[in-house]
Amino acid sequence: MLPAAVIAGVAGRLVRISALLTLPIAISVILVSVFTRAGTHVLFTIGPFDATTEGVDFAGQTLVRLFAISTSIGLFGLTTEPRSFVLDLERRGLSPRFAFVALATLEAVPAMVERANIIASAQRARGLDTEGSVRARLRGLLPLAGPVVLSSLTEVEERSLALEVRAFGKPGRRELLWRMPDSTAQLAVRAILVLALIAAIGGRITNTFPRLP
Amino acid sequence: MLQLSGVSYRYAGYSNEVLHDIDLRLDDGEIIGLVGPNEAGKSTLCLVASGLAPASIGGSLRGSLTLDGVPAAGLATHKLAERVVIGFQNPNTQRSGIAATVFEEIALGPMNLGLPVAETVERTRAAIARLRLDDLIRRDPQRLSGGQAQLVGIASLLAMQPRHVILDEPTAQLDPAGTRLVGEALRALATTGTSLLIAEHKTDLLDGLCSRIIAIDGGRIILDGPTATVFDDPRLAALGVEPPARARLVRALGNRGLEGSIVEDAIAGAAS
Ligand SMILES: Nc1ncnc2c1ncn2[C@@H]1O[C@H](COP(=O)(O)OP(=O)(O)OP(=O)(O)O)[C@@H](O)[C@H]1O
Ligand SMILES: [Mg+2]
Repeated sequence: MLPAAVIAGVAGRLVRISALLTLPIAISVILVSVFTRAGTHVLFTIGPFDATTEGVDFAGQTLVRLFAISTSIGLFGLTTEPRSFVLDLERRGLSPRFAFVALATLEAVPAMVERANIIASAQRARGLDTEGSVRARLRGLLPLAGPVVLSSLTEVEERSLALEVRAFGKPGRRELLWRMPDSTAQLAVRAILVLALIAAIGGRITNTFPRLP
Repeated sequence: MLQLSGVSYRYAGYSNEVLHDIDLRLDDGEIIGLVGPNEAGKSTLCLVASGLAPASIGGSLRGSLTLDGVPAAGLATHKLAERVVIGFQNPNTQRSGIAATVFEEIALGPMNLGLPVAETVERTRAAIARLRLDDLIRRDPQRLSGGQAQLVGIASLLAMQPRHVILDEPTAQLDPAGTRLVGEALRALATTGTSLLIAEHKTDLLDGLCSRIIAIDGGRIILDGPTATVFDDPRLAALGVEPPARARLVRALGNRGLEGSIVEDAIAGAAS
């Protein structure tokens, strides 16, 4: 995962994001498994809780898995533009309507953040307090929620009308103009990954790999 | 031909009608200007004439809309889109959000119609040339100025080569040069037989473009006639619509005893 991130030039951001994502779960996993996992090798004791090597071992494994999952999701998010992803899905046979809904969902969040910023500065210009202490900021931000959500909704409605006008709902396949660049290297890596996935699943089923205790 | 007969319309969830008993006939190749004060019902009339109200946004309609003799009621929205398109006031909502470049944005309509790629590209190129957008084609549609977005929005509609075009304040964000550009493009479009209904506050644009003007207020047609007649009508100012500069000049000079036709001739001379 990390070499891939380095190649894509997003390693730093990836590690930060994954660490942030996993941190809350990681802490609870460590606490719960280290102290409550039954085991024979007691390391130390805090009150009624025994820390066991089995617990530490289990926590370590879980963390590695967690980190693997979050880095893969993070890497995908950092390197793939939602637009290209959805359009490529359509090229591979997804219905345009579904593609639009998926895309609108993926892009709604940054759009809302942008709108919230605009509305916040408009409100600030009129004297609303959106800076300062956390409580003051929360109080200041609450009145923004309404306009942000409402204006996003009406805009989405008008946008879907505008799309209808441009025959978006027409059933049947469209001949897409765009092609995603897809190099032989990408094809090769994809093929290798698919084979590796099959091998991993196969290995797990037939128990060829040494199972972790 | 696009025809509204005895149309009254009420938005969903409201008890009052916003349009009352509208009769309007738009012939092929004809450009009609729609004027009226704020809240007069121009945008609503545009929605109804495009068939989106009530088909897509709900509400209830009395009377009928026919497109080239076919009743619009019961046409699927994509069938409707093959006959009539509408451009909204706000260019930001006009943007699809799924195209990465202006070229793809403009190509989206023809592509959706299921045209072969070669024809989609050809229509897109024609629309781009008509609105002189060549410098923008690689830009991200989300990062355009208001005026640029408005031109791209209009080009996106023109690329579909529709029979009927409804435009709700198409030049609201445009500078004088952009406004003239749109005027020229629309005039060229009409000569190919496309009919246009344009709601606009800029009466100067309409003056040079339209053969007929309809003025509405409170959801009713107040004036309907040849452009010069309506723009010279004193009742227009009472509606809060400012007549074009030409009409005001003719009237002002006429009030000082100058023959109207002399002024008209002078203006025609200055324009050519
Ligand atoms: N979505 C809606 N739901 C309910 N009522 C609406 C809606 N849109 C407009 N109206 C009402 O319909 C009436 C006509 O509004 P419309 O937007 O058609 O006016 P307009 O002539 O386009 O005005 P403007 O020059 O400001 O664009 C107004 O009274 C308005 O409040
Ligand atoms: Mg309006």
